[in-house]
Amino acid sequence: MIDTIAPLVGTVLQESSPAITGPGAAALAVGLAALGSGYAERGIGSAAVGAIAEDDSLFGQGLILTVLPETLVILALVVVFVV
Amino acid sequence: MSLYGTASGGRSSNYEYVIARVRSRRGSLFDDDDYRKLVRMGTSEIARFMEETEYETEMNALGARYSGSDLVEYALNRNLAKHFDDLLRWSEGALYDYVARYLRKFDAWNVKTVIRGLYAGAESADVEDDLIRAGEFSETRIDQLLAASSIEEVVESLDDTIFGDSLAEAYEVYEAQDVLVPLENAVDRAFYETLLDGLPSNPERDSPTGLYIQFLRTEVDFRNLRNALRLARSGADTDPAEYYIDGGKLFDEQSLAQLATNVDGLVTAVRESTYGSDLDSALSDLEDAGSLVEFERALDAALLEYADTLSNRYPLSVCPVLSYVLAKEREVDNIRAIARGREAGLAPEEIEQELVIL
Repeated sequence: MIDTIAPLVGTVLQESSPAITGPGAAALAVGLAALGSGYAERGIGSAAVGAIAEDDSLFGQGLILTVLPETLVILALVVVFVV
Repeated sequence: MSLYGTASGGRSSNYEYVIARVRSRRGSLFDDDDYRKLVRMGTSEIARFMEETEYETEMNALGARYSGSDLVEYALNRNLAKHFDDLLRWSEGALYDYVARYLRKFDAWNVKTVIRGLYAGAESADVEDDLIRAGEFSETRIDQLLAASSIEEVVESLDDTIFGDSLAEAYEVYEAQDVLVPLENAVDRAFYETLLDGLPSNPERDSPTGLYIQFLRTEVDFRNLRNALRLARSGADTDPAEYYIDGGKLFDEQSLAQLATNVDGLVTAVRESTYGSDLDSALSDLEDAGSLVEFERALDAALLEYADTLSNRYPLSVCPVLSYVLAKEREVDNIRAIARGREAGLAPEEIEQELVIL
């Protein structure tokens, strides 16, 4: 067991290529940003649906406020092009 | 994650949804202008005005059976029940528990109404109209209560509720003395005791639970204060401890018993307490004019204002819901007072004095 781990650790720590490559890290960044905006939209969305249930005319505003956190994902996409 | 704290059911609370709806409904309650218009109307005009508002469905449903201020009153009760049922339907998890705790007030009211109806030998249809189906009791339980033919049956059918034990105890006293007071007291005490039961006794200030408990304590304090003042005023030879409700922070049982015998001491005690600044003008009025009615109205207004403050300080908590519940109750009380007052021929200015408007 240890025999097999030792060369593996050697590869990860000493070889020139990192554990997470540049594109990999960018993908992670986008994914985490999407997770964050999803959580933010959870609260806003349920409040917006509540408000729309009381007053139909709030549909437009509710929709806009609900998707506002989506900008987080768009900003995170920039990282993909930088890498 | 304390914000989305889960209850025993395991579902998380949906504060955002409920509060968005509640705030919208809070905003559409009658405002000063509506009241100013209402106090100048006759009873039938009030009914017509209400048909064009929020109360349309209820007014139409009951319009064929009643008229005048009875119609207004029953429509108000039904509307209140509809809105508060909505609250219970929407809320989930811990939020449901918090809202239900407070709305059990209407269960207490219904139990008392049924018992009074049986005591006075009223028709069950009449009793049914006076019920406010807003509490936690299911339709079947309420029908069961209405079908009961004696007070003993009522007490037995409530065996598995929070009122069970204390009612059973009080029933023995009732049988011996044939007065309703012990039964009614038992219901009220059961309600107030379960109100604070099971909540953490020393929560973080400013956490949602902390604010909720603060609010409930204030309510209990005001209730004690009201009882003490009434006792002091009436000069009746009753033991104030019998009416004392546990859980407030303003009085304990002994200090209340001492203060209930002298009004001046009571007023000073309240002025020095944390509520002093909120109730200052009301207390001065009480000292000058000695009008208990006005003071009680000031207490209502202070409680409402306090609930509003709490709801602004922590928007994602149960406080906005409580503030809506209180405001709605005040609206119903106000409209009822206007309708009854106009029917009795009071002048608009006299009625305006009776209203609780912020």
